[in-house]
Amino acid sequence: MSSIISGLNIKNIYEYDSTLSYNKFDVVDYELVTGISVYPSYTGLGNSGLIAWFNNDYLEDFNTDGSFNITGWKNKVVGSGDLIQLSSDANVRPDIQFDQNYITLKDLEFLSGTGFDYTNRTFFLAVDVIEPEKKVEQKIIKFGTDVSLGSLKINGNNTESSASVLLDADSFYAVSPIYNHKNIFTIIQNSTASTLTIRQNGFNIGQAASYDSQWNSNYFELGNNPKNSGIKYYDLFYFSGILSETEIDYYEKYLFEKYFSDYEGLFFAKKNVPVGEAYSPITYTGKNYWTRDIDDLFKLSYGSSVNFSAKLSPLTMGDGYRTNTANNVNTLNATFDLNYDGLTDAQSKCLIAYFENTPEAPEKSLYEGFKGVDINLFTPYKLNAEVYFKTINHNSSYNNLNKITISAESLFDSSLDYKGMFVVLDEKNIKTYNSYVDYLLTNDVFYFNSDSYAERGYYFYTGANINPPSSSTGPSSKIYIAPNNSPTGINSWFTKDFYFKGDLEYEVNENIRLLSNDMKNSTIEYSKDGINYNLLEFNVGFKKRITQEARAILKFLDDKAGFKTFKYTLPQPYNKIIDVYCPEWNHTYNFENNHDISVKFIEFKNPFNAISVFNTNITLVE
Amino acid sequence: MSNFLSYQNIDFRFGSQNYYANRVSLSAQASINPVLLNDGSLLNYAPEGAVVGSLSTEFYLTGALPSFLNITGVDESAVMASFAGVAITGLYPKSVSFSVEPFQPIVISAEFDWYGNVALENFDEQRDSVLSTKLVPDYIANGYKSYMTTSSIEGAGYIVSFNYSMTCDRPAFFNVDEKYPFRVAKLNKKADVSIKSNTLGQLLETSGKYAYTNITIKDTYSTTLDTFRISGVLSSQSYEISEGQYLLASADISQTVPELKTLI
Repeated sequence: MSSIISGLNIKNIYEYDSTLSYNKFDVVDYELVTGISVYPSYTGLGNSGLIAWFNNDYLEDFNTDGSFNITGWKNKVVGSGDLIQLSSDANVRPDIQFDQNYITLKDLEFLSGTGFDYTNRTFFLAVDVIEPEKKVEQKIIKFGTDVSLGSLKINGNNTESSASVLLDADSFYAVSPIYNHKNIFTIIQNSTASTLTIRQNGFNIGQAASYDSQWNSNYFELGNNPKNSGIKYYDLFYFSGILSETEIDYYEKYLFEKYFSDYEGLFFAKKNVPVGEAYSPITYTGKNYWTRDIDDLFKLSYGSSVNFSAKLSPLTMGDGYRTNTANNVNTLNATFDLNYDGLTDAQSKCLIAYFENTPEAPEKSLYEGFKGVDINLFTPYKLNAEVYFKTINHNSSYNNLNKITISAESLFDSSLDYKGMFVVLDEKNIKTYNSYVDYLLTNDVFYFNSDSYAERGYYFYTGANINPPSSSTGPSSKIYIAPNNSPTGINSWFTKDFYFKGDLEYEVNENIRLLSNDMKNSTIEYSKDGINYNLLEFNVGFKKRITQEARAILKFLDDKAGFKTFKYTLPQPYNKIIDVYCPEWNHTYNFENNHDISVKFIEFKNPFNAISVFNTNITLVE
Repeated sequence: MSNFLSYQNIDFRFGSQNYYANRVSLSAQASINPVLLNDGSLLNYAPEGAVVGSLSTEFYLTGALPSFLNITGVDESAVMASFAGVAITGLYPKSVSFSVEPFQPIVISAEFDWYGNVALENFDEQRDSVLSTKLVPDYIANGYKSYMTTSSIEGAGYIVSFNYSMTCDRPAFFNVDEKYPFRVAKLNKKADVSIKSNTLGQLLETSGKYAYTNITIKDTYSTTLDTFRISGVLSSQSYEISEGQYLLASADISQTVPELKTLI
């Protein structure tokens, strides 16, 4: 059992056992093998036949040239042969990867050596093959100089009954994904019995129909797969002779614990799981039954809500003037209250365990901590958002009836993203403007692209519905929006202004900004504080709005990022147009076509005269 | 289809089983509220929740009470019914009751919530061929031979009549973007019996009186159709007499039906 169980407040979570069946929402702690792991060079158990061992634990495991290209991968077994690359052609020399625990051999890069001839051996290998665009055979390892014999290869699409592992000409279906997925391959080479057996992640997947003498060759090669995307080699070692099943388990467990911690830990049943090894969480079949994706398990309930607040450093300058400095490119802080209501006890156990286990997610990088939870947020927010679960509130009102609210924070959404931070330009609900559209609905939002900063941005259609889609028939013809009616036309059907009307019921509180002079034990003298002393700070409610309008309001606010100013017409009896910015708002999804939005507006007095604008398109290249 | 559908031409079934209903009532309720804007205008009417349907029926008990009407049981699943040729798939039973009076047939009253789209516009009469082949029930529950035990109801005398009911609340839970519930739970499950007797013994205590009874429902030929058990508290007593009548005592026995948690 892994150590993570101790971090949970949920009891009765056990190691995955393939001899048991499981119910939907059951939680298991998965390990490849539940026994001990043994370091390859440990001889305490009587294994003294370690002949070759290569990994990337230390820089001194490699010989490099002046450009840190690998010229040799040292065998950790003293006196045994190294894998070398003596060519002066840089195309065949792999790079050393200082910050990774693997080396990648791609395209023509290869390492090879001699002195690897053994007739009987047990070979262990931990690799991750990067999925190529074109699926062709890729050699993982190869003995001998024959073109096709003496090799372990993979081929096929990354799907069950297509992904294949090949020993020479014999092909076996892979049990786990073969691309973008770490794999432990174990080859049991027995020339005495003329058998060659292959295991993938502890599963025996096949035995070659014939045994070729190339496997006895002293030449050994890694890589050399023209035009592939690369193979990450983590660790490889072999023992002379045939190890027992128990011993093989020890070394596979060593590889699994050292490199595959991502696959260890809690898995959650997304449907009832039958008995059988094939349903293990890391197999193709098992992936249809076990998940770590919360969207496979639960859907959000109505009542889910979100609070936005802008992280600003306001600088007040007297006379009611101020400037707001956005502290970073992730101006808006969003905290989602994710509501899961009507859960059974089994479902709530699953969800609480999921919540408590989120810190066990793999590290995003050395600098970003562990990975957040990928989740589909509720309408109209984006799908597949990355959030961090912070707090949980569990309420059980009756037997087998639970409500769980998880507070989740989003950290990685930047105001520099023109598509939006949370209500995004998805080309489905919010589209790039085109003069031909299928239909126009009140409050439709379009992104208008232009070289002009002033014209570019989001526009809102304020007219009546035209050609609305029917449930039974689609629009018969496209609507043409003439240039005059376009977002920048002189008779535009669209606006960039905040045109939404607040609720009938509203409150406005005012505080006059005054200077006071406290004359002790006598009186206080008030005097006016310069000009602009009646600045407003007030809330506006938009309750029970349909999804279409709510999306438009929220897109407007999302686009303003919490600090950009816009015009707002105060309601009766004020009726004045003022400049405001909106540093905070919240939204609750009550029911289909019923959204509550409450916004905080702060009056802003500085005239907007931008000296310069950020008008550069940034493209991130990995 | 005629302009008006008459009772004798309307079929009512749970699943594929025909029930001899003497009344079926079907309704739907949308929860809406107006949205008024700060310029005084009306924006629209906003939905506050799903359309909730209600179905109530009274039918003669012609066998054991169907298992899906075990209101105090753990089964939360929906029932399918058809009424006037229209299927209603998302029916959730929430109460069942019946009265037992001397020589009267026992009529089951059942109430349901329902969700989902029901094509009410397709109501139709059943075909003559179906109507003519309807089977006559072998048994009909009657108060003549039906009875309840009184040995564990302190002070209870001769029972003149009694009513039995099972009820629960059925809160519905919805996923976002959906109009139909993914779960309709059962809460506050209760069973009640009200009795009329010539006497009820001593006045009840502050904690009521413990009461236990078995109710046996039979037809006129003494065939047992079903039994019901209640183990609760007698919590109210009343006495009433009117001109030309005997003194009658009434009492209510109520049982809260718990559900033990299964360790997971």
